[in-house]
Amino acid sequence: MKHLALGLALAAGLASPAAAEPVTVNLARFFGACENAGTDTKTSVGEACIIQSIINAASKEIPDVTVKTLPTDWGNYYDHVKAMFAAGNPPDIFVIHRSSIPEFASLGALADIGPDLKAAGIDTSDWTEGAKKAVTYDGKIVAVPMDFHANLWHVNMDIMKKAGLVKDGKPILPHSPEELLAQAKKVKEATGKDYLAADFSQFPIGVRLVLSLIWQQGSNIFDGDTATIDTPEALNAVKAITQLFDGGYANPKLNYADSQQEFLNGNAAVLVNGTWVVNEYTKQAENPDTGLKDYYVSDFPQLFGQPATWADNHTWAIPSTLKDQHPEKYKAALKVAAFIYNHDADWARTGHMAVRKSVLESKAYRDLPHRAEYVGTEKIAHDTPASPEYSKIQDALNRNLQSIWLTGKDPKKALAEAQNEVQDILDQ
Amino acid sequence: MARQTTGKRKRTLSQQQAAWALLAPFLATYCAFLVYPFFKGVWISLHDWNLLAVAMNPAAAKWVGLHNYVHMLWGRNITWGPLSHPLVQLLALAVLAGAFGLHRAGRLSGRSAIPIAIAALLIFLLLGFTPGEGGRWFDRRFWPTVGNTVLFVALAAPGTTIAALLLAAALNRETRMMAVFRTLFFLSQVLSVTVVTLIWQIMFSPTQGLIDNVIRVFGGSPVSWLTDPHFAMLAIVVTTIWWSLGIAMILFLAGMQDINREIYEAAALDNARGWKSFWFITLPNLKRTITLVVVLQIILHFQVFGQSHLMTQGGPDDRTQVLVRYIYQSAFRDSEIGRASAMAVFLFAIMSVFAVIQFLIGREKSE
Repeated sequence: MKHLALGLALAAGLASPAAAEPVTVNLARFFGACENAGTDTKTSVGEACIIQSIINAASKEIPDVTVKTLPTDWGNYYDHVKAMFAAGNPPDIFVIHRSSIPEFASLGALADIGPDLKAAGIDTSDWTEGAKKAVTYDGKIVAVPMDFHANLWHVNMDIMKKAGLVKDGKPILPHSPEELLAQAKKVKEATGKDYLAADFSQFPIGVRLVLSLIWQQGSNIFDGDTATIDTPEALNAVKAITQLFDGGYANPKLNYADSQQEFLNGNAAVLVNGTWVVNEYTKQAENPDTGLKDYYVSDFPQLFGQPATWADNHTWAIPSTLKDQHPEKYKAALKVAAFIYNHDADWARTGHMAVRKSVLESKAYRDLPHRAEYVGTEKIAHDTPASPEYSKIQDALNRNLQSIWLTGKDPKKALAEAQNEVQDILDQ
Repeated sequence: MARQTTGKRKRTLSQQQAAWALLAPFLATYCAFLVYPFFKGVWISLHDWNLLAVAMNPAAAKWVGLHNYVHMLWGRNITWGPLSHPLVQLLALAVLAGAFGLHRAGRLSGRSAIPIAIAALLIFLLLGFTPGEGGRWFDRRFWPTVGNTVLFVALAAPGTTIAALLLAAALNRETRMMAVFRTLFFLSQVLSVTVVTLIWQIMFSPTQGLIDNVIRVFGGSPVSWLTDPHFAMLAIVVTTIWWSLGIAMILFLAGMQDINREIYEAAALDNARGWKSFWFITLPNLKRTITLVVVLQIILHFQVFGQSHLMTQGGPDDRTQVLVRYIYQSAFRDSEIGRASAMAVFLFAIMSVFAVIQFLIGREKSE
């Protein structure tokens, strides 16, 4: 009996020498936690649950691959990933922003996956130009794009109607800083509510807003190794916003959660936030208890010479060490990346924009709630200039802008200081 | 007798051997997890050491000697003046003169006067350094961050001590109710920093928070506690006091129960009750406990991190940025682990000063 069992086992082993051993792929991501996300990628709601349902589905459907989502926290995500790299134990696949790719890729930390994409079933000719650029570093493809996301103008139509700022069922957008102020005044007079809400105090939404307004004037925050923050364009951008605070039309002290709550409670006409909340706010507005009833999503307005809004990409990268040392695991990680990529249309339900031409052209995509209202964002999306030091630069800007909105520092002085700080970072 | 021990030695270890054997597990852990990392940290602080770059290529660490320390502490065209920070410097001078005067008048012993005088002199000297014409600190954020940390400690350590002392005095009774209260007040101590900061973030929220809702009921306008430059530091101090009250309270309760009841009874005959007996009997008898608690709190609060990181993210405009958070950011966000280690060594130096003070006080007790 014993011999028979042994023989059978041996035979089984010989019969399929290539039978893949089950592989566990460790995946790191931000987007927040979602328990019980299930595997249905069509019905989950909100960023966290949609991504987790896609990951769960990958784990279930890819043969011999189990995906384990590592616990990471949004605010400390990159710190955590770097610490894992430093400990010689990086995740097998991890989500990374376009803006953070240079920091990792410049050190050779990301695998060159370009040559293996076709075998994994990823057709790069379906990628948008922006997506291709986002994941290419030094001529090599180092990540699989998942979306592109941008700042939007989230609008409470009931407030705008009361202020007479709706035409043909669309909100009237301001075309200059003066018009912005005039709209804010109208809203305050007609409803007593704030015109604009955004996180100006912690998360860098305020930075992204100012960046957009600087780009709209054809300027930027640095050019090669030279910081260009202490400029008339930056001052214009800052003043377009401070006029709202000075007039009492916006509150700079609200953080992310509180500014969002103000908008959802129906206390602000406009919220500046990204594409990632469209699906969630749509669901919230359907709830009769929410103050926000008539929700509209608009492209970020053009206040200066040319249109622009802050944008970035979410992409999936694999550590170079995995490709070199664990080819089996590397293959499995690529399969997971391909699976997520193939669910681009499901991910786009969050409100993010797809990176695949075939998805962008599909009817299902165009019919997503509010999608038609901000389809123009694709054309006005503007990326931050690439730098391995980007997270530092953003933090320096955030602190110095906070000193303007929150501590009443003279904008010229604050910009001069930001210029010095960023120059220090670029000089290192 | 001697023969007996030699006879036994065959089977048993000598006292010294036994001591080493018993100490070995502790020493091994201690060396592996404290001594070695400490010296490694000092070693790293002498390098230009990028966390990610060294992970990819161990040869990427570059020896820079004391450069990280110079960059952290010094700047270009740094000048010294007696009135660079007039308010604090003059105050320090006044304290220095006061300590000297009181000592001369015999109101202050040399043992107390000398440390106070040294501290005041140091503050006077250190705050005299500022960047002169066209000058600047190499690291613009370091000294302001040290200042914030000192301010935090200066508020949180006495705050916790006084609050714990008053609570202990109020709860030092042998009724069941008081036992329940003692447990309740100690409970906050066992919570983790994430839970504590989450609770207080909700408390301080201007849209949903309890505090602002109460303010609204009384017709006031809500305050954005965590993003207001005047309140952010106070808000994390309040959170910290609430969180670290427990241990201090228990230490005070123990100290109070050590005081001889007869003293109170005698005092009561002289009509010293309530507040008077607290002031004239409890406080003087608790002197050692108070010093211990204060020093422990100082050492503890210099390491503040979670409250600032999770509640205010160091903001607004770095007003609540503290040393450990700066170390963390430099090491992990900016990958500058060499600079971060230099700052950690600086923090170690500050805390060692207080550890030495505590050691000296402890020794005084046994004399």
